[in-house]
Amino acid sequence: MSPSSDPQVVITAAAVLTPLGDEPAAVHQALCAGRTALAPLNGNYGGGLPPLTGAPFAEFDAGRYLPGGSLRPLDRVSRLAAATTGRALEAGGWTAEECRRRQLGLVLGTMFGGVGTIAAFDRRAMTAGPAYAKPMDFANSVINAAAGQTAIRHRLEGINATVSAGVPSGLQAIGYAADLIRMGQAEALVAGGVDELCFETLHAFAGAGRLCPAGDGAARPVPFEARRGGRALGEAAALLVLESADCAAGRGAPVLAVLRGQGTGFDPSRGGSPEGTAAAIARAVELALAEAGLAATDLDCLAAGASGCPAGDRAEALGVAGAVGESARRLPVTACKGALGETLGASGPLQTVLLLEAMAAGVLPGIAGLERPEEDLPLGGLSADARPLAARRGLVTSVGLDGKSCALVVERC
Amino acid sequence: MTDRVVVTGLGMVTPVGVGRAAAWEALLAGRCGVGPVRSFDASRHSACRGAEIHEFEPRPFFRRLEPDSVGRASQLAVAAARLALADAGMEAEELDPLRSGVALGTTSGEPREVERLDDRLLADEQGPAGGDFLARYPCHVLPEVVAAELGLAGLNVMIPAACAAGNYAIAFAFDALRRGRADLMLAGGADCFSRITYTGFARLGAIAPERCQPFDRNRQGMIPGEGAAVLVLEPLAAARRRGARVWAEVAGYGLSCDAHHMTAAHPEGDGAARAMTAALHSSRLEADRVSYVSAHGTGTPTNDRIESRAVRRVFGERASKLPVSSIKSMIGHTMGAASAIEAAVCALAVAEDRVPPTIHYEEPDPECELDCVPNQAREHRVEVAMSNAYAFGGNNASLVLRKCA
Repeated sequence: MSPSSDPQVVITAAAVLTPLGDEPAAVHQALCAGRTALAPLNGNYGGGLPPLTGAPFAEFDAGRYLPGGSLRPLDRVSRLAAATTGRALEAGGWTAEECRRRQLGLVLGTMFGGVGTIAAFDRRAMTAGPAYAKPMDFANSVINAAAGQTAIRHRLEGINATVSAGVPSGLQAIGYAADLIRMGQAEALVAGGVDELCFETLHAFAGAGRLCPAGDGAARPVPFEARRGGRALGEAAALLVLESADCAAGRGAPVLAVLRGQGTGFDPSRGGSPEGTAAAIARAVELALAEAGLAATDLDCLAAGASGCPAGDRAEALGVAGAVGESARRLPVTACKGALGETLGASGPLQTVLLLEAMAAGVLPGIAGLERPEEDLPLGGLSADARPLAARRGLVTSVGLDGKSCALVVERC
Repeated sequence: MTDRVVVTGLGMVTPVGVGRAAAWEALLAGRCGVGPVRSFDASRHSACRGAEIHEFEPRPFFRRLEPDSVGRASQLAVAAARLALADAGMEAEELDPLRSGVALGTTSGEPREVERLDDRLLADEQGPAGGDFLARYPCHVLPEVVAAELGLAGLNVMIPAACAAGNYAIAFAFDALRRGRADLMLAGGADCFSRITYTGFARLGAIAPERCQPFDRNRQGMIPGEGAAVLVLEPLAAARRRGARVWAEVAGYGLSCDAHHMTAAHPEGDGAARAMTAALHSSRLEADRVSYVSAHGTGTPTNDRIESRAVRRVFGERASKLPVSSIKSMIGHTMGAASAIEAAVCALAVAEDRVPPTIHYEEPDPECELDCVPNQAREHRVEVAMSNAYAFGGNNASLVLRKCA
């Protein structure tokens, strides 16, 4: 495994953009107060959809976050990424000069990128003719557009990469960025994820029967709930600033947390069996603990990726328990998707930021909407209510629809 | 920690040949894979030629999955992966599933799935979207399909860094092996021909009417193409233990971002030069050790001018004598597959001391003062090869391969 001479990777800043707030502390407080962003989607996303619940931004005014310069070249998902990156740079004290000097880069996780832009480009070409398709939309049609646009906006000349791994895209991006720092390819990187709620993503999930139906009294999009009926889609961006401990020390940047370990797992049956998915999650957690050099008993809390998916949430609970054993009964668990919906590529980084916030505040938010946890799940720490938390080390898990899983172990300083 | 990582298998699926031997032979012979677009109606476009793979039959490469259950880019990727393993003298069943991973790059993933979705929506505005869009479209399905087909449960990642994505994926795999996150990685890239991509490049005015002529004074643009390549990467020690044939050693890589413009390169080639310099630094090599450069060389007036400038900035006066060729003259721009195919070509150049030509080269351009290996392949000692790739979003990636001593 990793040699001890590796640079330690630390987290020095964080930023989020969510329907419940644009500051980690504010979102944390909203969750602790039991607020939720879930609401009926009211048919704003085109025809052909059943009634659905979702967690969109009531209003996303990118100009508020990106003053000066035209926003026209950026599509919506690029604006979310660029706006959140701006917040992260501000939170971490990264001036333009510092970004350039340290060749700050960006590793962005996303499941869909600008799929809405791609489809709109194609539909215009098909209806009006190829000569009328918009070149600017084509520039944004590549999956790395949000990362590229963000680099242009903030002049980030370092490594610029995009990672797609489905729901765990954001956690995988953090892991990739951390390895680039450990390998000496970068001193510091902004890393996290973004995805937007749009016609195409809703149709993708609805068409596959992967969303919780709305208006049905029994089913709800609530993590680990006995009567859960699938996920509700949300949208967000969440980013961390990762750097080598030396870089942080050199800049005099306060360290929020240490990224102790990361792991991934994959089920080659692609979600074909609950056991396969659980094994992939267990493996991700085991690898993350091994890299951290920690035992399950060293963990103090869990930020789960559960979304209300009947099979996925169960597999995640079983997988985590498979890796941490008896600790699963003791660990306090939070799952922010109950309030923020399934934000796909943003979700893992969002869980991470909010868990760090919870550790700092000493309060763990409850799981919004949880009334009756599924009975035979091996997780003992499920609660609808916020609780006091005395924690240094947290586990973050993220599970894809097809069994791809990522886990992070973070330690607060 | 494993220090040394080698390339032991090459799977190539290109418009001039499927399989390492067929593709390499065609590229050395200077064969052109460009023709009239057949996969969709291009009659209303401002261009009409492309580099498609016409006779691609996915069935022979699929043993577990149903080929029709996945998109075309995934099919191309599976074919390249199977070919790469066979080239490495391995069967998927011999691999340790938990320690064998897949890292792929792409520009567009499965764009034809968006086209299918749009066709259905346009035919019946209120009709339901295709139920399989979620299972077939998002680009992470490409490495997952490859791993599912081969039964691999190890590290699995998609790095959609557009037209530099193949190099990103190979670099990712290189680091994953060096960090001990896997014992064997299949790494490369794939993209399929699509009306979306074609329409986009046509609207940018980037497509050449007839031919792709990198570095030629009268070059008129790029030609969209499709393809896939997968490289088998493993630690040198493991390759030696199993007596594997080693094509080349991965020496290092460099990544950078222009942070300048979404579709146009930095006018001075700053980002490109930084990626090359970082690649040399990570390879612990001086510029004068490089014996061949596989250019990004798209054939657009701007790319080739700026790339030539960047190469001169890094290699100085030696740039005029350094062979720098572009196989895009033969197979067009295969997008996310391009740098993976070019990495395979560099591995072969390193192994065989032969470099492929830039075809359709007629008139030198004073702004591209390079030895682009005009029209004829060349015997040339290749100790160290560098492969350059530049992408939308200003993503730059240079990869360095060397002879394995």
